[in-house]
Amino acid sequence: MIPGKLVRFLEQYANVAYAGIRDRDLVPFGHRVCGWHVGADQRTMSILVPEEFRERLVDALLHNRELAVTVEEFPSHETYQFKGQYLHHRVAQSEDSEIVERVRRRFVKSLRPLYPEAPVDVLNAFVSPPAVVIEFEVLEIFLQTPGPGAGTRLVPPIES
Amino acid sequence: MVTCSADGKPNTTVISQVYYVDETHVALSFQFFSKTIRNVRENPRAFVCVFDIAGQAHWALQLQFERSETTGPVFDAMDMQIEAIASMTGMSGIFKLRAADIYRVLSVERVQHPPWT
Repeated sequence: MIPGKLVRFLEQYANVAYAGIRDRDLVPFGHRVCGWHVGADQRTMSILVPEEFRERLVDALLHNRELAVTVEEFPSHETYQFKGQYLHHRVAQSEDSEIVERVRRRFVKSLRPLYPEAPVDVLNAFVSPPAVVIEFEVLEIFLQTPGPGAGTRLVPPIES
Repeated sequence: MVTCSADGKPNTTVISQVYYVDETHVALSFQFFSKTIRNVRENPRAFVCVFDIAGQAHWALQLQFERSETTGPVFDAMDMQIEAIASMTGMSGIFKLRAADIYRVLSVERVQHPPWT
């Protein structure tokens, strides 16, 4: 189950995410994620993926279901990795675009101090519109904020 | 960066720099004993995506782990860059380079963002 603290992080603070998959030969690939939301039961999560990354991601998930998603708040670098198994996917709808818009606003706000002269369209384009929504069952969550604790499994908790 | 364990579990992580070594190699920092480090030593294939904000694109690199260096010019240059990045991002004392992991670049792909409308 995704703890409430992490649900708040995902819904209110996180502003960048990446999804990792692998093919039948164990070759890994990465895909930019433009939005995300947690299922009502807090056991599933959906990621929103732009068109430019859709085909290879869906093909791999239909083959082996293995998915890892890292979500970060920049510039604090608070980061978590969610690992699990693909459940299903669907074409993105208008309500998904609203989720992406919220992520885009947070992301552009975080980048502005680093790129004070950049046109807003350039920064906005960094978060592409969603093409597909992939729902997966979250089986493990890891802390990945840089530091000695990075890699610690949070869910399920490590037995002491 | 995405890696994959020998039993087929992908792992994603955010890395602070991709260091250009030569036309066919890049170096990635080994700072902590992480899942990434374990994965590339049992399955040497890796994937890295770097962001090009000004160019409105991502660069996707397919890599193969070759070796780890703990001394030499690449290690020294990366160590200095990591200290600079740590200082800029308030992470001084947290980022510490253990080794420069050298990867062969198998392919490079430019992924263009669609224009913002």
